[in-house]
Amino acid sequence: MLSEIEFRILNFIKEKVNTSSTEIIASLNLPKSSVFSVIYHLASEGYIKIIEEKKIQDIEISDEGKKRLNEGFPEENLINILNGKSLKIQEIKQKLGDNFEIAITWAKKRNIIKIEKGEMIPLTNSFISPERKILEKIEKGEMITDSELQLLRSRNLIREKEDKEIIVEFLRSPEVKSSLIFLTPELLKNGEWKKYEFKEYNVTALPPFVPIGKKHYFREFIEKAKDVMISLGFSEVSSDYVEMEFYNFDMLFQPQDHPAREIHDSFIISGKGRISDKELLNNVKEVHEKWWNYTWDVNNALRLVMRSQTTATTARVLSTRPKAPTRTFTIGKVFRPDAIDATHLIEFHQLDGLIIEKDFNFKKLLGVLKEIFKGLGITEVKFKPAYFPFTEPSVEVYGLIEKLGWVEMAGAGLLRPEVSEPAGVNDPAGAWGIGLDRLAMLFLNVKDIRDLYSEDIEFLRNRKVDI
Amino acid sequence: MVTIVVKKSKLLQELKLTQNELENVLFNLKSEIEPIDEDNISIEINADRLDMLSVGGISRAIKGILGKELGESKYAAVDTDYKLVVSNVETRPYALGAVIYNIKLDDEEIKELIQFQEKLHDTIGRKRKKVAIGIHDLDKIDSKVIKYEYIPLDYKFVPLNSNVEMSVSEIIKNTEQGKEYGNISIYNKLTPAILQDNGEVLSIPPIINSNKSRLDSETKNLFIDVTGTSFDAVYQTLDILSSNLAEEGAKIGFVKIEAPYSSTIPNAKSPIMKHKTISVNPTYINNRIGVSLDKDTIVKSILKMRMNATLDDNINVIVPPYRVDIMRDVDIAEDVAMAIGYENLGVEKFQSSEIGKYLKISMVSRAFRDLSIGAGFQEIYSLVLTKSTNLIDNYVKILNPISIEYDAVRNSLIWTTLNFLSKNQHARFPIKIFEVGDVVTMSESDTGYSNETRGCFAIMDSKVSYENLQSLVHQIITNIVGTEPSYLKNDNLIFIRGRGASISIKGNIVGIIGEVNPEILSKFELSFPVVLSEIYLSKLNNLI
Repeated sequence: MLSEIEFRILNFIKEKVNTSSTEIIASLNLPKSSVFSVIYHLASEGYIKIIEEKKIQDIEISDEGKKRLNEGFPEENLINILNGKSLKIQEIKQKLGDNFEIAITWAKKRNIIKIEKGEMIPLTNSFISPERKILEKIEKGEMITDSELQLLRSRNLIREKEDKEIIVEFLRSPEVKSSLIFLTPELLKNGEWKKYEFKEYNVTALPPFVPIGKKHYFREFIEKAKDVMISLGFSEVSSDYVEMEFYNFDMLFQPQDHPAREIHDSFIISGKGRISDKELLNNVKEVHEKWWNYTWDVNNALRLVMRSQTTATTARVLSTRPKAPTRTFTIGKVFRPDAIDATHLIEFHQLDGLIIEKDFNFKKLLGVLKEIFKGLGITEVKFKPAYFPFTEPSVEVYGLIEKLGWVEMAGAGLLRPEVSEPAGVNDPAGAWGIGLDRLAMLFLNVKDIRDLYSEDIEFLRNRKVDI
Repeated sequence: MVTIVVKKSKLLQELKLTQNELENVLFNLKSEIEPIDEDNISIEINADRLDMLSVGGISRAIKGILGKELGESKYAAVDTDYKLVVSNVETRPYALGAVIYNIKLDDEEIKELIQFQEKLHDTIGRKRKKVAIGIHDLDKIDSKVIKYEYIPLDYKFVPLNSNVEMSVSEIIKNTEQGKEYGNISIYNKLTPAILQDNGEVLSIPPIINSNKSRLDSETKNLFIDVTGTSFDAVYQTLDILSSNLAEEGAKIGFVKIEAPYSSTIPNAKSPIMKHKTISVNPTYINNRIGVSLDKDTIVKSILKMRMNATLDDNINVIVPPYRVDIMRDVDIAEDVAMAIGYENLGVEKFQSSEIGKYLKISMVSRAFRDLSIGAGFQEIYSLVLTKSTNLIDNYVKILNPISIEYDAVRNSLIWTTLNFLSKNQHARFPIKIFEVGDVVTMSESDTGYSNETRGCFAIMDSKVSYENLQSLVHQIITNIVGTEPSYLKNDNLIFIRGRGASISIKGNIVGIIGEVNPEILSKFELSFPVVLSEIYLSKLNNLI
């Protein structure tokens, strides 16, 4: 298959029958290098025959030659300055500057001046140098004689280089082929494709829409948070959305009249759960009655709610009476009645963790929190004293976010003995809860929390992948 | 979190602090400030620090942590000849009283006092259910004997901020407070009341005071009644109120208590001004925090938190009446850490030599998601709560939803998927989506319900085919399980008859697939055909 330029050159050769590369270059106004390569290609395909390759001399007017043509040869300028009268040499020197020596030398050689008593006398009133005439011939592409060439060479007015010329002769035209839209395995197999010409596409046109597989950006953020916890040596646990108040509140030392347990703070489900671990129930009853001084009612503890904190999962882990060392975490949805707006939803994610170690303490907990946030991408944190019914000491973690300043990100603390001891855990234990949705909004640059659960597929398709 | 509004200039002047310094010191006392206007700031107080719900309490705490005043703040208290006689009031059995002398009350300070009262109502008072406070002008009360007993609902008096006499029933029906708190303590057509000896009403807790004893800018002395359902909460509320008013310069007067429970009250008078002694082991404190402070530093820290402490082998902490949040040694540990300052504790770098472990279902879900992406599906992520009218079969219903849009928990991903599709009928076609997420179904668990992880695929286009989706789902399942699934005819009503199937692996149904029945499509207002498949990942998980 010949390209467009190959066709043009082959057609030109066909028309002339015999021609040369020089002629092709001049007539088709093509770059020399491509013409040579096309000629070789056409010859190798058998469309033309190379008759002769010969070296030719090429002459070009040098920069100096061009300058002389434009500004005049020094000896011409000298005659013009004298303008038929004698002048003092000093005066002429001033006017001609650097060209003075050259002008004197060539004017003497051409015998158009003479010098007497420090004065220069012109022997002619006008002068046009022969070199100018020769250069003009070159410009016009006329031939010059060897002696003329010699003259120009001696005055550095030309540049010479070797060049090549290829003489060619036309042999045959390419076969005419029909056009092809699809390349098929059959055509490839039997080589028939060579007889065809491919129909050209409009390759610069924009493509039609085709959906591609793409992960959900918020899901990916959550998976990343999981990876961070795994990398810190925590094992994943989970529990169900529907939970007993016992695990959501009572085990966490929240008294049964605690405001968080009121109807507008948790979603209520009908029905009651059952707990077969009577020892655990009794222990929890005991600590509530001892410290909060009221009558604890197991029926309230068995009521069902949508869990309002993933600390319920931590309570579930505690209820299995884990031994030190224990390191668990969970990431899951929690549910709280709230007005829905750009910053509030009625369900969101928490990352809760539990660590039980023989010699665990508050400072170590701060270290764990620092490391978790480092993993999540928050390098600067500060700690604020806080209150949660189930931890003491308690702390809130603030992270530094560019442009926003310090943002509250997590609650944590050492579990109160009233929480761990009823489950037979006597070693110190640290626990924390991190709200992930707000954190995701900061990292993913989402202004409206509802976009994390967007129902608009175009929003998901068009959103740039977070790298 | 509770917020109170205070005069900024007054607080800064009293403490000789700049606003910035105030902000920093409050941060270390679990609090935050937010400017409101030129002269007012709101301070967020943590739920445990009831002692900080008034300016007096805040400045007491700040002076301590800054080391300007150490140890318990002691207040002048004198006996009075006032007596509170408490009858049997079953619905609200406990009442205590206090007299407060030499209080300065301009309009601004009356506002502050009422704010303090209301914040105590909202917190320890559980919106007046557990505790209610009545504050009266002492000099407008005509008797030394105050009674707390039931009165009938037709009993009349002039309620606060009114000049008309009304019956209790009318007050409950016609006043704002009556509507909000009227039903808390009424029993058998009786309501609890604080009365003068002559039967004149001073207040009907927890609803409203009478106008007779109302506070004004002339008020010099107060009578405070606190009533409630928990003796502890009642005496703690009165102790905090009395201490904080005394912190601002007032003098406390004791009221004699004649009540069924007066034998449990030292000297049968209130406020009780209860002190609690807690013995703490300094080693325990150090180990809990992770520091090694000497005993003197620990004692100094306790004094900074405005408690007293004495040293023997252990440290005996004397908890003053206003720190009702301190229960035991762990609470003292936190206070010591706060006195040192969390930022001064340092952080012990966490190093992990353990290897964490994912739940298997997490790994299965990840593999499933990866394969679904490979098959060209766009992942979606929906809320778990949904509209009950979208669901069929058994589902968890929310008894107190905030909106009918979210009054149930999804029991299948099919409905949230169809809901998503119905909102995207104007998007670029074809729509190819999937979701992996939890649904809640009935089970044999201890709550009767369990989470189940599922995956759901759907294709919506001007033309869809069963085979089109089946070929992709078949590959995905085969790759996850290592066994090719088989398909059983399924006449599930979700699907067009003859175009739905159950997906089975070794005799276990692991999902369904089919072209959605036009009746279901129209229920979701869908104008395009849909083919979908729901896969039960929790079940697949058990087969792997």
